[in-house]
Order: sequence, then C-alpha cells, then structure tokens
Amino acid sequence: MDANPIVLDDAAGDVVVVVVEGEHDIYTAPALRDRLDEAIGRGGGIVVDLTGATFVDSSVLGALLDARRRALEADQGFVVCVGDSVEPGVQRILDITGLVPILPVVSGRDAAIDAARATPNGAGG
Amino acid sequence: MSAAPDVRLTMPARPEGVAVVRQALAGMADALDFDAAVLADMKMAVSEACTNVVVHAYADSEGVLEVDMIAEDAGLTIRVRDHGSGIQPQVTQSREVPALGLGLPLIAALSDSFELQGRAGRGTEVRMTFLYARESDPAAANPVTGSVGDDGRWDSDATRGTPAG
Repeated sequence: MDANPIVLDDAAGDVVVVVVEGEHDIYTAPALRDRLDEAIGRGGGIVVDLTGATFVDSSVLGALLDARRRALEADQGFVVCVGDSVEPGVQRILDITGLVPILPVVSGRDAAIDAARATPNGAGG
Repeated sequence: MSAAPDVRLTMPARPEGVAVVRQALAGMADALDFDAAVLADMKMAVSEACTNVVVHAYADSEGVLEVDMIAEDAGLTIRVRDHGSGIQPQVTQSREVPALGLGLPLIAALSDSFELQGRAGRGTEVRMTFLYARESDPAAANPVTGSVGDDGRWDSDATRGTPAG
C-alpha cells in the first residue's frame, strides 16, 4: 500500500480532483506530473486537493505551476485546495513563496471545485 | 574545527533517498525536542539541499549524498554535501527532474543561518543551522523574493500579487 498516494477523483463530473496525500518531493513529483497530465487530458477543470498532504517541496510546486500553466492555456480551470487545518510542511512553503493567490489555493474541496468550474483561472469565481 | 557529526548518512544521490534523510532528521529533532514549526522548516530546507545534490551534482553519473547532523549548544547544524561538479546549478529541462530554481532561496529563508561552499570539480556543501530557541522567523530576515516567471522557473525579480496567466 502506497503511503503517499496520488489518485484521481472524478465524482464531481466536469472537474477532476487530484487527491494528494502524505509526503511528496523529487521522488514522487514524476508520478504527480503523470496524474496531473491525466487530469488535464480529461478536458475539464482540475482541482489538486492537498488536504491530506503532510509535506510538499519545490519539486511539487514546480509540477503544480507547470500543470496550472498548461491548464490555463487549454482554457481549463485549475485550483489547489487545502483543509481547515494545514500541515506546517505544506502551509509554510505556500506562505513564503507567495503562491496562494497565484496557484490559486482555496480552503475546502467544494469551494475549489466551484472555482475551477466557474472561471478558467479559478481566481475570479 | 568542525564538530564530529552525531549522525552521518551516506547514500547514493537518488530521489528516493531524500525522504530517508527527512525521516532521520525527524528522529534527531524529536530527540532534541524541537518545536514542530522549526522541524517543518528543517525538513523543507534539508530536502531542498538534498534535491539540489540529486538534480545538479553529478550530471549523468552516479554519486553520493552525504548528510551530517551535529547537535551543538545553540542548535542543530546540518551539512549536506556532494562530490560533484561544483556549485553552479545547471538549468535542467528534463521532465523528470525539472528545476523550479527555488531551492537556495528556500534554504536561506527557512534556516537560522546558512552557508554554501563549493569549488569547481570538488563538490558543494550546504551548511544550515536551526536554533533550539528562535527569537524571530528567519523568513522575515531572508524572505523568498519574486514569483514564478513565464518560463515556469522562479524569477527572483518578478513582482508578486498579480496572478499571471
């Protein structure tokens, strides 16, 4: 059993959720990129849910930013979400890089799905 | 002059080793009763230093990643070392190991002190210290500046606050 799973959840229909749990770094970033490619390939909005993530490094941010750029080029919404309480190993890097408004990062999966559905960049809806 | 390490890890410089270093570091920090927020900074900074070794140090050849952890009076010092080509990180375009270029800015922001030593052809050593009792947030003194550029790499001169798209 994978302690650091990355799975796609398409229960929301037109928005696919990439659920990222556990610790993620240079080792798991290629798998994350594959899942993000798969999500983008489905043609709808993309939400990356970091609620269950305990650690993400700059390799992960690089994968997210790359996927965001490609999603926006394809006119697909892209939004990252976190839970009510965020692990220090996730919150800190988001805070000090100033990427919260850029990715963007919102609280709660439902709000993220709505945002990814509402606008291509998720920030306005 | 350098103190003998309490913990020394030597392993192949491969992506799967970085999590092993974090695990060892967590155990060491737990024994030293570090605050969870400082531990989080430590894990992030050390991961970035190890990732730099994995991505940049040895080009296409195999090499080793060495990590020393030294408990000193004021804090924990961690040395991350390679025996690779030297300090200049190359721009890596590989899809498998894309470099955002945030590693060193993050290390500077998250550690209480930080030193980078390297000579061409003789490897690089990143030395970071994390204090047991912080008086201030190091990220306030050494903030990560800039934002992501159009090329997907970190641009330390970019202005923040406007989502580019």
